[in-house]
Amino acid sequence: MGFLNIDNVTKSYGSVEVLHRVDIAVEEGEFLVLVGPSGCGKSTLLNMIAGLEDITTGEISIKGQVMNGVHPSKRNIAMVFQSYALYPNMTVGQNITFGLEMHGVAKPERDKAMADVARLLQIEQLLDRKPGQLSGGQRQRVAMGRALVRDPDVFLFDEPLSNLDAKLRVDMRTEIKKLHQKLGTTIVYVTHDQIEAMTLSTRIAVMNGGYVQQLGTPKEIYDTPANIFVASFMGSPSMNLIPATIVDKDGAAHAEITDASGNAKHLRFSGGGLSGQDGRGIILGVRPESITDMEGADRKSTNIETITNTVGVTEPAGSDTFVTSQMSGRECIARMRADAEVRPGATIEFAVNMDKALVFDPQTEERVV
Amino acid sequence: MAVATQDTAIRTGRFARALIYLVLLLFVLFYMLPLYVMLVNSVKPLSEITGGGMMALPQVWTLEPWAKAWSTAQIGVQPTGLRPYFWNSISMVVPAVAISTVLGALNGYVLTKWRFRGDTILFGLMLFACFIPFQIVLIPMAAVLGFLGLSGSTAGLVLVHVVYGVGFSTLYFRNYYAVFPTELVRAAQIDGAGFFQIFWRILVPSSGPIAVVCIIWQFTNIWNDFLFGASFASGDGAPMTVALNNLVQSSTGVKEYNVHFAGAILAALPTLLVYIVAGRYFVRGLMAGSVKG
Repeated sequence: MGFLNIDNVTKSYGSVEVLHRVDIAVEEGEFLVLVGPSGCGKSTLLNMIAGLEDITTGEISIKGQVMNGVHPSKRNIAMVFQSYALYPNMTVGQNITFGLEMHGVAKPERDKAMADVARLLQIEQLLDRKPGQLSGGQRQRVAMGRALVRDPDVFLFDEPLSNLDAKLRVDMRTEIKKLHQKLGTTIVYVTHDQIEAMTLSTRIAVMNGGYVQQLGTPKEIYDTPANIFVASFMGSPSMNLIPATIVDKDGAAHAEITDASGNAKHLRFSGGGLSGQDGRGIILGVRPESITDMEGADRKSTNIETITNTVGVTEPAGSDTFVTSQMSGRECIARMRADAEVRPGATIEFAVNMDKALVFDPQTEERVV
Repeated sequence: MAVATQDTAIRTGRFARALIYLVLLLFVLFYMLPLYVMLVNSVKPLSEITGGGMMALPQVWTLEPWAKAWSTAQIGVQPTGLRPYFWNSISMVVPAVAISTVLGALNGYVLTKWRFRGDTILFGLMLFACFIPFQIVLIPMAAVLGFLGLSGSTAGLVLVHVVYGVGFSTLYFRNYYAVFPTELVRAAQIDGAGFFQIFWRILVPSSGPIAVVCIIWQFTNIWNDFLFGASFASGDGAPMTVALNNLVQSSTGVKEYNVHFAGAILAALPTLLVYIVAGRYFVRGLMAGSVKG
């Protein structure tokens, strides 16, 4: 039984079920991120935790108390909205203390709580301004201040950073992480940005089509994705998914793929889990950073396979250079050092780190190895 | 408002511009002419009007007609002037406008932020109220007022105007609140604010422009109404418009045109005042939500 328990929860609109049997137990102090493409049900789930949407079946409990049918203000939660939802007619100070006022907290205590939060978020000089006079980043801080001042059991964040520009988003991301480390509060955070999910969370629930596809730590999600959806959704650029056939050769299982010219190439699998399955069609999953030039290959890897192939396009990104090439008819991206000397059209040796390679079943799309 | 300061005018040549101003000027003259006639004739003695000098400026300036129209002119049986009827109108308009505006705001709030099954149908039916001609409801309304014991009273007129006004005020506020961010209402719910607290503390303070539109619209309509006033108010309880009609129509003997003109201006003054004071918000409120920014 967790601190925040989502037990077998479903959500239907009429006869359409949009959220199917979600089971998540969140421990106290955890930072859970719900991530997925739009329409996957992540915001619906958050609104159900907040009490803004009804629960069709199942149970949500906080601190062991069932929250079904309990009014949002009685759940001891606070929420930061995507649009910040600051009351435009009130000053920053009034915005922050409105919730306390509604809960009947006396004025001196409200002012003290406001001062504490303002100091924590460094918005003391903004307290007398109206939201309309603030920049995006300042509004974001005020919205967080309004949530913090209530000292709730659970914080809910609904895509709080998606209205900020790219640089500010990275800054605020760090701020939120710092705040979580400092206060140790329980947070449920919704985003469609997989980098936010990876950097912020202690655990991630990847959602798609109303199902939780996988629930795990960022490392588990990244290194051992449960299926092709999770593998391709998490990570940027996304994982290369190469159709391949298992071939037994020299007493070990190999993945047979074709290069840009259509010649068969063999890559030996690191583990022994795939022996005796000669001829089975699979999808080989390799992250871009596991395909490099020879000098950039991971030295700790026990099994670097090389493949000679023609370079398609090079994309210098400053810190890295992304190199595309055709494998089994698919465009594959390799992540090379910034100063790797690669020219389009040249034939070079790619180093594939097979320790990190994953295998998916083409029919079920589940991970095999 | 940013829109107003933007230079959105189309560039034209000097000749075209002069032509446009000329035409505009002609229209202004055309529209202002009746007001000119009323003003000029209300400040001259009757003899100058009957002498055929309708368009001329007064030779003798006098405020006598104004004083007479306001306090001593014969209206109905008593020589009371328009003054008591002016206060009749005020005591009808103020509560009617206030009640219909507040009800419209509440309706708009419920129809957009507390959606329920069938709310659009209900809103459609309320809109229908805007299109019902006054004449159709006269007899049923008289029956209802009689049943409630309000016939012939100012309270009865207030009720009639509130019922008629709610359709319009609901339309205004519903459309205004439809673009009001629902996340604000949700945030207030989580903060612990109740139904009316959200309304008074969050929505109403942001409703300035549309409230002005609604008040101007309601005030003008109710103040200028003649039919309901003539039908449901009697004698001393009649509103300004009905009294003006009595002044102009029922005078025995000489028709005092100068007094009639002064009375007509007096009857129009409050609506004029409302437009001058709140008019600049009118267009602003009507435009609200149509332009992002």
